[in-house]
Amino acid sequence: MRLLLVELNRFRSRRAIVLLALAAVLVAVAFVAATAWNTRPLSHADRTDAAAQSDLEGQKPERQQEVRACRADPQAYLGADATAADCAGALIEPPSTYYPRQPLDLGTVLHRQGVELALIVAALIVIAGATFAGADWSSGSISNQLLFESRRSRLWLAKAAAVTIGGGLITLVVLGGYWLGLGAVAQARDLSIPGADVTHVLWHLLRAVALGMGAALGAFALTVIFRHTVATLALLFIYSVGGELVVNLLPFEGAGRWSVGNNAFGWLATHHRYFDATITCTPVERCSSTQVMTHLEAGTFLGVLLLVAVAVSLLWFRRRDV
Amino acid sequence: MNDLVIETSGLRKVYRSRGGRTVAVDGLDLSVPRGGVHGFLGPNGSGKTSTIKMLLGLVRPTKGEMRLFGEPVPARLPHVINRVGAVVEEPGFVPAFSGRKNLILLARSVGLSRATVDDALQQVGLADRARDDYRGYSLGMRQRLAIAAALLKSPDLLILDEPTNGLDPAGIQAIRELIRNLGDTGVTVLLSSHILAEVQQVCHSVSIVGEGRLLASGNVGDLLGESVSRTRVLVADPQGAKHFLESAGYAVARSGEELVVEGHEHPEQITRLLADKGVYVQELTAIRPTLESFFLELTRRPERTTAAAADAPTEGEAS
Repeated sequence: MRLLLVELNRFRSRRAIVLLALAAVLVAVAFVAATAWNTRPLSHADRTDAAAQSDLEGQKPERQQEVRACRADPQAYLGADATAADCAGALIEPPSTYYPRQPLDLGTVLHRQGVELALIVAALIVIAGATFAGADWSSGSISNQLLFESRRSRLWLAKAAAVTIGGGLITLVVLGGYWLGLGAVAQARDLSIPGADVTHVLWHLLRAVALGMGAALGAFALTVIFRHTVATLALLFIYSVGGELVVNLLPFEGAGRWSVGNNAFGWLATHHRYFDATITCTPVERCSSTQVMTHLEAGTFLGVLLLVAVAVSLLWFRRRDV
Repeated sequence: MNDLVIETSGLRKVYRSRGGRTVAVDGLDLSVPRGGVHGFLGPNGSGKTSTIKMLLGLVRPTKGEMRLFGEPVPARLPHVINRVGAVVEEPGFVPAFSGRKNLILLARSVGLSRATVDDALQQVGLADRARDDYRGYSLGMRQRLAIAAALLKSPDLLILDEPTNGLDPAGIQAIRELIRNLGDTGVTVLLSSHILAEVQQVCHSVSIVGEGRLLASGNVGDLLGESVSRTRVLVADPQGAKHFLESAGYAVARSGEELVVEGHEHPEQITRLLADKGVYVQELTAIRPTLESFFLELTRRPERTTAAAADAPTEGEAS
């Protein structure tokens, strides 16, 4: 416990990590601001413009002809219960179609900006985790630390726990702040937030925090192996970019399942749909190149990768000369 | 109770790299007695730092046994590490933290207080600059901080690998005084250094290694007593004197008008012999053996003597 507190102190005292955490906060603030701006209430001019466009659309001869035909036989156009009065409303787009933006909807935000922000924060935490371990090696302070705690497994575990907790906390604060900020925006606009949306956001936040913790731990574990921050970041970059290419070139179907990007999105987004270029469909064969990734599948893939990195790192650290 | 603080037996370390194998330590048998300052000497690449790193668990031995305070290491190292303070190679601290913060983190990991840190900083004369960032420290200040870190645990064994590197003369003197005091108060200090005059001034005993093996070990006075005594002789007829001395079985080297004679027990043997032959000595200087000369005798190889001599002061003389 004492060692863990020391490592947590070391983690929070690193200027590079503080700067990365600040960067994450700034990105989240920018996301809140952008979302708030893009969903701001409509002005009178916006509504007038939309009504004018709707009217214009309704005045077009072909649209008028279609309305007239509908009124002549509404059941044929709109179904058994339809009347002639329903035709104009059903066939001419209402003014709301022409509104320049939609009101704030947390469900929509969750699937777009929510996932994007969580991935950006995870990427920053990868850098923080790698920096935390890398600084120990580049400064040579790891030797000094081992002169005070010679049980290498214990030192590794304390550092790993500190970086995992640190990564999780940064994610929780940044993303928690983001969603609270959006909640405040919704409240200020008197928008009601459905309970289901709140539940989805909470689950998403939980998964994002887990991703942040895993990202920090994975980056730390790899940096202990390579002893260099840049080497770890380079490897992750090569793996994430080169890996996507390799996955697409693999000579078997369904290889897209093994792409890190797909799995990261799959972990954060519910029923993530992705295009798998390795699935080839013939005209007679009923199949689709669009696949769905579940949280469980993505979590298993990322978890196994993390477990391998952690095991190798710990064994490596226990045995190697310092 | 075991009176040896450090023991190694058949210790061997082989580093493997793309370039091949390098034998750093080759069957080293080292014994360091409890208390006092023990010098650990050897030319560059003789395996001193590798030995120290193996003792401290930083490097794994390829073969052999090691004991600290009678406990086998690395197996029982966690049980004795709190009795050991060490400075190994270049000091390693986090550049962005202050010197004090670096020490506080180390101290906290073993449950020591901030007051202990401040005491250690005071002891090495770094209290005034303790709150400055480590990255702004000079080499000497970094070395002082490393020594302060080594002192934090109030160790029974202090292992110092070139502790005066980068220190100014006043700093060297202060650290030398500190080492001497620690040795006098019962702490065992293993001092690895190239500065042989410094070692001779503070060490009670020494171990000299070369090519990863122990070449000599023991009390400094005893070792120097075993060293060959030499005498510088100035005479009017050096050629004749050289002939007489060589005929008597002494080794004689001529340097201008001077002769350097080896192989005698007392300088008066030389004066008596030459006087009997009618050659009168004008000047006679006993060349006292120093740790440097003893070290060079043991480790003499062209590249090594050059490296060692670069740091070493000249031989001491007394008439």
